[in-house]
Amino acid sequence: MANTNIEGAPIRRRQDSALRVRLRRGGELLGLILSNPTTVFGLILIFGMLGMALFAPWLTQANTPDPYQMPRDWGALRMPPGTPGHPLGTTNTGGDVLYGVIWGSRTSLQLSIVVVGVTVVIGTAIGSIAGMVGGKVDEILMRIVDVFLSIPELIFALAIAAILGPSFTNIILSLCLVFWVKYARIMRAQIILVKQNDYVDAARVIGDSRLNIYFRDILPNAATPLVVQATLDMGAIVLIGATLSFIGLSESGIAEWGVLVSEGQAGIASGRWWASTFPGLMIFLWALAFNLLGDGLRDALDPRTESRR
Amino acid sequence: MSISKTDTTGAQTVAPATIASVRGLKVHFRSKAGRVHAVDGVDFDVRDGETLGLVGETGCGKSVTGRAFLRLLPVPPGILAGGSVMFRPQTSCGGCGGEGCAQCGGSGRRPTPCPTCRGQGCPDCQGTGAETLDLLKVSDKQMRGIRGDRIAMIFQDPGKALNPTLTIGEQLGEVFLQHRSVDLLEEAGIDSGESGFQAGALRRLAGQRDRRTDRMAAALWPPLRRRAQSVRQALDNRIAAALGETQIPNPRNIMRSYPHELSGGMRQRVMIAQALACDPDLIIADEPTTALDVTVQARILDLIGQLQAKRGSSVIYISHDLSVVRRICDRVAVMYAGRVVEIGETDQIFNDPRHPYTKGLLAAVPTTRTPRGKLAAIPGSVPELVDPKPSCRFADRCAQVHAACTASDPILSAVNPGHDVACFLEHPTSPKTEAAE
Repeated sequence: MANTNIEGAPIRRRQDSALRVRLRRGGELLGLILSNPTTVFGLILIFGMLGMALFAPWLTQANTPDPYQMPRDWGALRMPPGTPGHPLGTTNTGGDVLYGVIWGSRTSLQLSIVVVGVTVVIGTAIGSIAGMVGGKVDEILMRIVDVFLSIPELIFALAIAAILGPSFTNIILSLCLVFWVKYARIMRAQIILVKQNDYVDAARVIGDSRLNIYFRDILPNAATPLVVQATLDMGAIVLIGATLSFIGLSESGIAEWGVLVSEGQAGIASGRWWASTFPGLMIFLWALAFNLLGDGLRDALDPRTESRR
Repeated sequence: MSISKTDTTGAQTVAPATIASVRGLKVHFRSKAGRVHAVDGVDFDVRDGETLGLVGETGCGKSVTGRAFLRLLPVPPGILAGGSVMFRPQTSCGGCGGEGCAQCGGSGRRPTPCPTCRGQGCPDCQGTGAETLDLLKVSDKQMRGIRGDRIAMIFQDPGKALNPTLTIGEQLGEVFLQHRSVDLLEEAGIDSGESGFQAGALRRLAGQRDRRTDRMAAALWPPLRRRAQSVRQALDNRIAAALGETQIPNPRNIMRSYPHELSGGMRQRVMIAQALACDPDLIIADEPTTALDVTVQARILDLIGQLQAKRGSSVIYISHDLSVVRRICDRVAVMYAGRVVEIGETDQIFNDPRHPYTKGLLAAVPTTRTPRGKLAAIPGSVPELVDPKPSCRFADRCAQVHAACTASDPILSAVNPGHDVACFLEHPTSPKTEAAE
């Protein structure tokens, strides 16, 4: 085959163009997201905190041997912010609050990425099976989901974490066990909705296999609400994780915002506000940032937004 | 009805007159009120190369009938309650290589010889010597081979029938990847006898069965990458040619756009390109122009007509627009409440309608001479199809109803050659259908 089209003009190689098409679509979407100032604010916050997590070893001297353990300065207990060497003060046990805030962003990131990643995959798989297969399989899977949903998230996670014993890994595990149900529900509903579209029939009409239809026609069109929910949950999970840590379900001494708030709370009554406030502020900002981004994504990905329809 | 038991003797040269025949098709739907008999004993033939119009009111079962050809029914709640859809797939004529000769009657294609009797005529092929498949019974795998390749469908709303997340080219390409991967490899200069990882990977890439390793190898390993690109180029050429055939300007650009960037008419052209991509024997057009402007509608109809004439495909044109049907169809089947009530040549149906329903339907079409404010309508509405009684379905609304109509069910029988009506007015002693089970 000659490299010319019908009119005889030379054609470009497809790979480049396909990429360009993707970029164009991506650019359109990005433009839509960036046109909303609150979303941009959320993004800035997220990038700020991601930067903090990324550059943690350069921002503060990493503690040895385990940088995720708070360094203890036994010579400087309960110092207020502004103390030389401890710009945000220290805790009751001499932990540097700034160190906790910075390395805590790594812990939180780890928590939310692992939990959201695992639960989205499990939820998508189970929701897809339920939605695609339907019938009895759907019925059984959804009743299991109902059982999980009947118990409040926080209490359920608390119970599991308490059974497994206090450690940060167990918090991650318990949140994974609790959070997948929500995604399974969303995914199932979406799949059933998308399945009714004519283009799914059209794909069947051209002889596509079921798996191919699922991956090319159904999943990409069903994923939007899941993406939005996952983004919102990036913030919510840190909140719940911090709650569990605060209650004391993670090992003490770890650089984690919830633990720090918990450690500092005893001192608030006696005026030592800093040990709880700064990590608490970080939790707040983290949750806020992902909520803003999630809302922005929801608006931008909504098919009813005019520029895409 | 002209059932084609034709030419048992000369089966090897003469194409059978029918490409598909529907017999006693019953599709029911389970509902809370009971079984809905959406399609309840439909009989008709589709002749080779013709356009058959399937007309009727909303809910009369015309779309369900069309979809039964591709087994596109939601199987619960739908139930295939009985009947058969016989289909005779065709292959390109060996005598002329698709150019059209005396052997194939100029259409360039002939029926596939029956695998059991090799074209001699046997019970399997109903004595025609052509491979005859019951579309309701073939395996899922075989069905997938037929879909898009031998039978294609054009949907009502092209805006909904295109996946919004894929480019036009990606969606059109799928047809070729599914059914024409061998040709793609050949066009890309890849020897069919070649073995080894490269050839295997290329074969999988061209058949849309690629694995992650294949894709990675095709991206990173220069020799494979080059060849994969030539396959992709062959695919692109095919897509562009298919689009070009539907008179889309600048197909290479359209290929790279998303459905929402195209107008309704353009999208329908894309759908037509997709349907016609593999030269199907039968095209099911389910109200392809209802979602379009009248001006675009005419052009799309012309386009379907031209492409059909060029390929000799048969078309089942499902519509409620009688003026369109009159313009483009060779024969018309009028459906009412899950039954074909009248079938015949377009002229016979429009100039000499026999069934009271057909007459009512034709009278309801406003013409330029219809006085303002006066539109004829058939009194009453389509009956509930839940567990119907064994009576003429139209009895409730018929002006000429008499005792026989409520007592039993008329079946289609000939009033003129090629013109069948199911009505006791035409056949006072019409044979009665067996009571519904």
